[in-house]
Amino acid sequence: MRRAAAAGLFLTLIVLPFLLPNPFYVHIVVMMAVFAVLGGAWNLIGGYAGQLSLGHAAFFGTGAYVSTLLVNATGISPWITLWLGGAAALLLSLPVGAICFRLQGPYFAIATIGLGEVLRLLVLHFREVTNGAQGLTVPFKGEAPWQLQFESKFPYYYIALAMAAAVVLVTRRMERARLGHYLVAIGQNQDAAEAIGIDSVRAKGQALALSAFVTGVAGVFYAQYTYVVHPDSVFGLGMSIQIALVAIVGGVGTVLGPILGAAIMESFVQSTQIAFAGQYPGLELIVYGGLLMAVILWQPRGVIPWLARVFRRAAARRPAARGAQA
Amino acid sequence: MKGEALLQVEGLAKRFGGVQAVADLSFDVREGEILGMIGPNGSGKTTTFNLITGFFRPDRGRTRFAGSEVTGLPPHAVCARGICRTFQVAKPFRELTVLRNVLMGALLRHPDPVEAGARATEVLRAVGLEGRAHMEAGSLTTIDQRRLEVARALATEPRLVLLDETMAGLTPTEVGEAMRLVAGLRERGLTVVVVEHVMRAVMSLSDRIVVLDQGAKIAEGSPAEVASDPRVIQAYLGAEYRRA
Amino acid sequence: MDLTTIVQALISGVLMAGIYALVAIGLTLIFGVVRIVNFAQGEFVMLGMYATYWLWKLWGIDPYASLLITMPLLFCFGVLVQRFLLQPILHAPDLAQIFMTVGLSVALMNAALFSFTADFRSVKTAYAERALHAGGVTVPVTRLFAFVGALALAGLLTLFLTRTDVGKALRAVAQDREVSMLLGINPRRMYLLAVGLGTALAGAAGGLIVPFFYVFPTVGVVFGLVAFVVVILGTLGSIQGALLASLIVGVAESLGILFAGADLGLVMVFALLVAALVFKPLGLMGQA
Repeated sequence: MRRAAAAGLFLTLIVLPFLLPNPFYVHIVVMMAVFAVLGGAWNLIGGYAGQLSLGHAAFFGTGAYVSTLLVNATGISPWITLWLGGAAALLLSLPVGAICFRLQGPYFAIATIGLGEVLRLLVLHFREVTNGAQGLTVPFKGEAPWQLQFESKFPYYYIALAMAAAVVLVTRRMERARLGHYLVAIGQNQDAAEAIGIDSVRAKGQALALSAFVTGVAGVFYAQYTYVVHPDSVFGLGMSIQIALVAIVGGVGTVLGPILGAAIMESFVQSTQIAFAGQYPGLELIVYGGLLMAVILWQPRGVIPWLARVFRRAAARRPAARGAQA
Repeated sequence: MKGEALLQVEGLAKRFGGVQAVADLSFDVREGEILGMIGPNGSGKTTTFNLITGFFRPDRGRTRFAGSEVTGLPPHAVCARGICRTFQVAKPFRELTVLRNVLMGALLRHPDPVEAGARATEVLRAVGLEGRAHMEAGSLTTIDQRRLEVARALATEPRLVLLDETMAGLTPTEVGEAMRLVAGLRERGLTVVVVEHVMRAVMSLSDRIVVLDQGAKIAEGSPAEVASDPRVIQAYLGAEYRRA
Repeated sequence: MDLTTIVQALISGVLMAGIYALVAIGLTLIFGVVRIVNFAQGEFVMLGMYATYWLWKLWGIDPYASLLITMPLLFCFGVLVQRFLLQPILHAPDLAQIFMTVGLSVALMNAALFSFTADFRSVKTAYAERALHAGGVTVPVTRLFAFVGALALAGLLTLFLTRTDVGKALRAVAQDREVSMLLGINPRRMYLLAVGLGTALAGAAGGLIVPFFYVFPTVGVVFGLVAFVVVILGTLGSIQGALLASLIVGVAESLGILFAGADLGLVMVFALLVAALVFKPLGLMGQA
């Protein structure tokens, strides 16, 4: 039953771009897929390990900048810099984890905010290298698949979809492996986890490294898709908050949460942008902030766990429920 | 080797600000025994556990386990060597099931979660919690939470278990059950150190007893010897006066 | 790079430290009593700045005088925030607490953007140009007043916390919630007081710097971040720690600007945080 539903969903996702009326909607689903990847990556460290990061833009921006700088300087294919950008972000995560994991919840979050801000400021400062506030552009090559550039949005969609599927699979694998269990234990009670032999620094470090790598790769993709990287957008606090929000709204520590969260968040962002049509600067972000507070007040765990509870209660009420085991 | 020193604590000392919590503490724990550790409140018993298991670093002194040095190792490494502890205030993984709690411990020696799950089920049976395997740990009764702490520690297949006030706040019947649980550990070949305030339990369970007062060891010997030691009596009575 | 320049930087750093201290004390007070980390503290400073600006712009009220209006105003705002946003999530997991105040921060920042536009605004006072000169070093009176004002407020708060019954009750709740309840203290009321005071102090900091700082919607971000560094460095919940740490941070930032460049001042502050975390993870005051 669930296999059929999953297969159906997968097929829908594959034909989706063909069903949409115009490229603008395809853009929206591309962005949803990108945020699903970002939220999924964040989830590894923020959801499962309970280390709430508000600085994932640091890894996103690192991927975007490393890739774009290399592409501009050497003409190397972005298909290669996808991995290099991810690797750069992974390397960045190593000292960050080593230093910041000793901090408790909110203080870890602050340190990560600092990380994002410091990188943003450094990029702005060293403008000979990074072109400062003007940002970098990816040299436009028209239809150039080997350079990860396409004229239609469809290929971008399928790449992003593949990345999102990969993240889902990786998260599921991790959830069932020892690392996944260990992260949950650490999230519940770090001292108790240590006492039963769990090396919390190592486990968190692994989760962060994986998270950073995927986020960096997404950053490279984003740079290629939008052709432009600006320090304020890719390294900005706003991006970090959006990334975290996707996982939180959808459901932290769940495999499907980020997917749902990305769909919700992106629909929300796009519809407010349409509604306010750029007339009132800041208005959609006020609604954003308000939404965040409302979600926290109503369902701090996110939508997926709430849905799970709703379904469980519904299933419990039906005595002849078959296959209701989630 | 039964009877030989499994754990050797030498000259441990720890100071917190103006308080010398543990002062030049030395004792051995012999393989296969149940060692009781008693003393008035604040005598440094839990701090000693924290020092042995790596939650605190000692200012001075060494800890040797099975012949090798374990001083200053982080808690997870100490556990991997074979020493596991429970906490005075139980720290279950509240939102997880009882089974999953114990599975976390089993993963240390059995990295495959499926195998670890099987081991965990066995351990639950050993402590009598198999009926509660799928209950949320946070909703257990006090005695069952204590059982869970012990089960989780057992799952790591230790050689030495440090139990911190496992019987605090239990009814007399529950104390009896807890005592059987602890005695059962020895039957499984484990060595146990028990910190307790429930005197009848400690006195009847322990092969030997170490008495601490204000961070220092003031007596050591069989329960009978310790119970009649004037310094021990003085420490407990003295503690009463000190509090007043 | 001569001695005078360095001394100038040191003095600027110390003067600014007073402001950072005020914001940080507010933050540490809120954390100490309510145990919630307020990510919107910087935005409270921003609110204080805008309030001060508008009072001056519309009715010509001097920024220092308007403290008498803005502080009570922000106190009330803090009380409302505690009552409706924080109280419900007092016992919620970390995630909820962090994102509640993050959401508030985003909402406030953009409310300012929406209401007042992104334009940089400034207040021109008669004494804005005046400065003290001594041995090649220049101290603008506005910065001096800000420093003195900040210290005065910090001093008043300390007196309040140590000499008045209400203040002691506040400290009692910070130390041990349950015991203070046994003593008949109403923790909810103390929470309202703590958040109100923390907000008022942040707003006051904003008001004090308006004479020499531009006012714009995202101005609070820097103050929020610096306040966090100060609080962590000074050990969470410790007011003395915050005072000492703010001094270190203020000077570090100033020297950083001098040696590395104006846009890297914040980077210096964070480098300091990293160093602090590596060498003294529990903060200057150790086991607080």
